Amino acid sequence: MATLEIRGLRKTFGGVVALAGVDVTIQSGEILGIIGPNGSGKTTLFNTVCGVYKPNGGTIRWNGVDIAGKPSYAIGCLGLGRTFQQAMSFPALTVRENVQIAIEHGSRRAHGLGPRWSSPEELLEFVGLGGFADEVASVMPFGNLRRLGVAVALGGRPAQLLLDEPAAGLNEGESVQLIHLLRRAHELGVGICIIDHHVGLMAELCARLAVLHFGNKIADGPTEAVLNDPKVIEVYLGGDE
Amino acid sequence: MADASAVAVRRPRNSAWPSPASLILTAVVVAGVFAFPWLNPGYRALSFAVTTGVTAIVLYGMAIPFGQAGIMSLGYAGLMGFGAYTAAILSRDFGMNMWEAMPFSALVAALAAGLFGLPSLRISGHHFAITTYVMCELLRIALINGGKFTGAATGLDLPPIGTVLGVKLDKLSNTYLLVAAFMFISMLAAYCVARSRYGRTLRSIRENEQLARSIGVNTNMHKVGAFTLSGLFAGVGGALQAYNFRHISPDLYGGAISLYFALMVMLGGPRTIFGPLAGAIIVTFLPEVMRVDPVDSRIAYGLALIAVVMLLPGGVIAAAGRGYQWAVRALLGTRPKAGSADAGASWT
Amino acid sequence: MVTFVQELVNSLSVASVIILMGIGVTLIFGLTGIINFAHGEFLMLGAIGVWVLVGHGLGYVSALVIAVAIVGLIGFLLERGLFQFTLTRPNNGFMASLGLSIVLQHIVIRIWNSFSKSIPEPLPGVWQVGEIRFIKMRVVVVLVTAVVVAVTFFTISRSRYGLALRASLADRQTAALMGIPIRRYVTAIFTYGSAIAGLGGALTIALFPVTPFVGSEMIMLGFAVALIAGLGNVAGVVGAGLILGLVDGFSGAYGTPEWTNAYTFGLMVVILIFRPQGLFGGTMGPAIE
Repeated sequence: MATLEIRGLRKTFGGVVALAGVDVTIQSGEILGIIGPNGSGKTTLFNTVCGVYKPNGGTIRWNGVDIAGKPSYAIGCLGLGRTFQQAMSFPALTVRENVQIAIEHGSRRAHGLGPRWSSPEELLEFVGLGGFADEVASVMPFGNLRRLGVAVALGGRPAQLLLDEPAAGLNEGESVQLIHLLRRAHELGVGICIIDHHVGLMAELCARLAVLHFGNKIADGPTEAVLNDPKVIEVYLGGDE
Repeated sequence: MADASAVAVRRPRNSAWPSPASLILTAVVVAGVFAFPWLNPGYRALSFAVTTGVTAIVLYGMAIPFGQAGIMSLGYAGLMGFGAYTAAILSRDFGMNMWEAMPFSALVAALAAGLFGLPSLRISGHHFAITTYVMCELLRIALINGGKFTGAATGLDLPPIGTVLGVKLDKLSNTYLLVAAFMFISMLAAYCVARSRYGRTLRSIRENEQLARSIGVNTNMHKVGAFTLSGLFAGVGGALQAYNFRHISPDLYGGAISLYFALMVMLGGPRTIFGPLAGAIIVTFLPEVMRVDPVDSRIAYGLALIAVVMLLPGGVIAAAGRGYQWAVRALLGTRPKAGSADAGASWT
Repeated sequence: MVTFVQELVNSLSVASVIILMGIGVTLIFGLTGIINFAHGEFLMLGAIGVWVLVGHGLGYVSALVIAVAIVGLIGFLLERGLFQFTLTRPNNGFMASLGLSIVLQHIVIRIWNSFSKSIPEPLPGVWQVGEIRFIKMRVVVVLVTAVVVAVTFFTISRSRYGLALRASLADRQTAALMGIPIRRYVTAIFTYGSAIAGLGGALTIALFPVTPFVGSEMIMLGFAVALIAGLGNVAGVVGAGLILGLVDGFSGAYGTPEWTNAYTFGLMVVILIFRPQGLFGGTMGPAIE
């Protein structure tokens, strides 16, 4: 089981405090969801943990290793993977090449990481893109692009995956398929931590929820409890029509 | 989530072996290049052919950071200059012949390339390109002002290449064959890089650097590495040029020459096997051999570059490859197979 | 002392031309994102235009006005015909402009020749103030540049029109949604910047002989000044241009002329590496996100 321990994480941009000392523990055994209003610091949290930003305070320990301030590629090498809010891919390359690159970089790592893929085809079958191997990524429909993003992240053999709004832009049917995909990945042994705004999706997928508000964590616990927490309802859910 | 209405785009698969068509084309090109001296081209044409070959070596080096990793540098004439001057100085001060000096040339140029590539980690795209142009000019100024050490504005002289494998290289045709051999080795090396895992990694950096980092690619190291690798080619080219033409001077290695290198590689296409060679031939060889007025020829390929950049992305060879595929389809009435590779066209 | 002041004015006149180049670069590059390596050719065309017209008997001032107008027109046509298609792919624009600079230089060489060209001094003589002699033409160059800088500064950098312009160019999508004609602004700035470069050329040929390659000699200095100051920062260009012009002039007169350009280039490289947004900060930086 892989553990990501975040303690007192602070991140400021000039005068703006994006993260005001966040404590959260993410274990690969359970699916954790992170919700909160826009601007509450969710993406900043992922970016800081994954080395895109340097933290201004606090610690981040991944499987006991202090990773705060490390460059993002180094963190990717350690088995902590992520996807991005925008659907990212290597646009001019084929779908196969997209995951092939990920697998090639995931394969020569230390042990204790997530599941291995013996070939790009195997990974593509797993995410449901088996028939699209020769397509160029840039012409793919948006839904497939989202799947490709997950595939690329999985290729890197992560023990824990941080997904930033992976369902954004997907319709009902596609979102449901995404949930199934993430569950299957979790069953394979990849930890899943997901930011999203689809409360229904989160409720179905996540055993535990954490809620961010203005850079602070205001709730953290089993999904049911958090969704019924009055603070959470006031700040986030109550505004939902 | 599979969208049934998505049209499957026919793209070449990165199969393990090139298609028969491209193998045939390669064989034809190799044969043509090596047979050239026996076509009685004359001293002038042969001499330009040697220059073209040396230039093509540098261009194949450029194909690695530019074609694969997508970073343009306008400093390659300077890197070639590092190679050439290293060779000249070693031959003058230590009596080295080309074979002894070439490794040093390659090394010095590679180190310089790595160093000049470092700013690309901080500044992007065209700003970096301008910086490299300026650094190239700085080198030229330094060479002009280098006094006795660099031969100042007049430059330096070198001895001839000497024999290799018992074959005397005083005949120009033999020198040509030597350069042609080096050129094909460079072509092969660049091709191997492009088809390898390393090439894929570089392409991932070009396509989406942030995504590449998230899966563990050390993008900074790879960028500098790609430049360093390209420096090897430039150093070899510089050494060959120096010993072949027996005289080098700072004006051969200024920013303006770098611009022509960039023009050639873009015209031919940096991501095709024959692109760099085609670019070198079109710009260096054809105008001279066809005795086109040099001013007219420069207008022509300046316009050609604009046309290629705006209309034919990927360069002339890639466009030719697409034209070939279209012609095949039109003539044979067949649909291209999903696995067919473009003959002579994009290797990536 | 006398020599010093005279050198000062000489350097200022050199600096003026560099500043005119730099303003064009900083406006075009900094505000529109179009990177035009052929910008130096606009200077060259301005100079050659004046040379041709004066050769046909026109007075210097008329020749200058017409030449600048023609260069502005050429800039307009190039923007409409070429550069506007490269806005979304700036690297393509850069490469196309490399080709363009070669084409323009060699068209001029084809029609005339590659030798240097000059015109008779439009304003010969000196003004004498005490012991100091000011070469009249050079003073004129400085004054004209000062006027242009003031006009540019107040219309683009300071006025409401200018602020709206810069804001729109910083966030094109929002501006487009608001109905602001971004394309027109880009065209206007490109034309203006090119015309100013042409003016620089027209002034240059009044001071020195000019070859068709003068553009590529000046373009790097123009880029250097604009990048050192910070792209989009017109006042910064003046500052940086003055410094560099002075270094240029004084090193030529007192120091090591062979290394003159090296100082400018070296400074540019150092600043780009350690402070990519420029010494004085600009609207658009070369730093990697």
